[in-house]
Amino acid sequence: MKNAHRTVLSTVAALLLATPFVAAHHGSAISYDTTHLWSTWATVTSFSYQNPHPTMMFDRTTKDGTVEHWVSELLTNPSVLARAGWTRGKSVDALKAGTRVKLYVGTSRAGGHSGIVMKIENEQGENIVGDRSDVKAVDLDGVPNGLQPTGEKKLPGQPGA
Amino acid sequence: MTKIATTVALALVPMAMLVQSAIAQGPPNRGNPQAASVSSDTDTRAYNKRDFNGLWARNPQAYGLPRCPECADPGPWPPASYGFLGTPPPRTPEGQKLFDMNKPGRGFELGSEEANRRTDLDVGMRRAVLPAFGNDPEARCEPLGLARLITFSGGGATMEMIHSQANDRILQRFEWTWDNREIWLDGRKIPNVDDYLPRYNGYSTARWEGDTLVVTSTGFDDRQWLDQYGYPISGKAVLEERWERPSPNRLRVQLTLTDPAIYTAPWKSSLKVWTLIPKDKMAIGGWSGILEDRCVPSDEQKFNEFRDHAAGKK
Repeated sequence: MKNAHRTVLSTVAALLLATPFVAAHHGSAISYDTTHLWSTWATVTSFSYQNPHPTMMFDRTTKDGTVEHWVSELLTNPSVLARAGWTRGKSVDALKAGTRVKLYVGTSRAGGHSGIVMKIENEQGENIVGDRSDVKAVDLDGVPNGLQPTGEKKLPGQPGA
Repeated sequence: MTKIATTVALALVPMAMLVQSAIAQGPPNRGNPQAASVSSDTDTRAYNKRDFNGLWARNPQAYGLPRCPECADPGPWPPASYGFLGTPPPRTPEGQKLFDMNKPGRGFELGSEEANRRTDLDVGMRRAVLPAFGNDPEARCEPLGLARLITFSGGGATMEMIHSQANDRILQRFEWTWDNREIWLDGRKIPNVDDYLPRYNGYSTARWEGDTLVVTSTGFDDRQWLDQYGYPISGKAVLEERWERPSPNRLRVQLTLTDPAIYTAPWKSSLKVWTLIPKDKMAIGGWSGILEDRCVPSDEQKFNEFRDHAAGKK
């Protein structure tokens, strides 16, 4: 598995820029590996529509039946969401606890079950609570721990997942 | 396993192309600050060049309007750089000391390949740390300060200009942190900063030079950062702003910071350009105007817990 990961990431590293300029609101992007996004189905456990970025907790079930508990922030901030039609009421309603969603995630550079959510789709395949419909990611639904950071994306001194 | 790896890698190719394509497109004025002085507005209707009233943004496409290429900050990075920019002058020993104390979370990451390679950029753009380990006042919901309000406004966060009915001042309102400042046009003199309490947004007086509004601000609270890259500003700084409306739908400003305690020469910013957004375009539920986009400490604290977790901060 480690070799497979290494193969994937070295291939991708050759294709993507290694480190984008960090300019997101509150500098969030620098804390996550946003150059290696992955997607997964998940169930919302809580959602908070707040500044500077909404936060969400979700569970995902791996192929062996293990339930992982994740924490995340959304890249899109409330003012942008509101102007895109995703007001507080509509967003909270769309992400009620128990809602099944497909998430496009960048894992935290410390590793583990923390990430930034770049895009959310509902079960009908519609982009919800966001305006980043062009985000692409590798599908790792059911894969334990999703995609964990490696190489220079991995923060030194952090334990593995 | 090899098959999985190959599949995953192939699946990521379109993503890589997308990223590279976005980077390749970039703002048309990238690396060419002079291009920013040309307005892309094609509206030829007559207008009052001294009327700055209105809602202004730097991302008109978010409101269903044509893009504004010159509204993006110049530079070799994505358009949302929102800094003072220009060419920072050398810092004084005291200025360097203050600069070193500030740990921003924006820019190229300290020690990264890009940060080491882009020596054409000032070190302020190449020293970002994870926000969890930085000390940006914004992460504590402290006031941003005038220059940072101006340079940050217009992307996700918008700005409003209001001329008073008596025409003795212009009120400038900023969406992110729901802040404001007054620009006085009643002929009052620039205050002696030692006679006043420092203010995050300083004290601003203005005069017209032709159709250019020249604003001079002093009396800054030195706890603020000049911009999100952690450049310091002292309580003795003087900020000059030259505002112009070069076409019906464009507003722009050139900032010059004179702060001899921190910088050895005046510092001219890049040109900042906004697009006029019609009221009906900037409305939610029929209610137009800027949002009350406050930085609420309790929200920030909760967010920072997630931020710290992502950084593995104990």
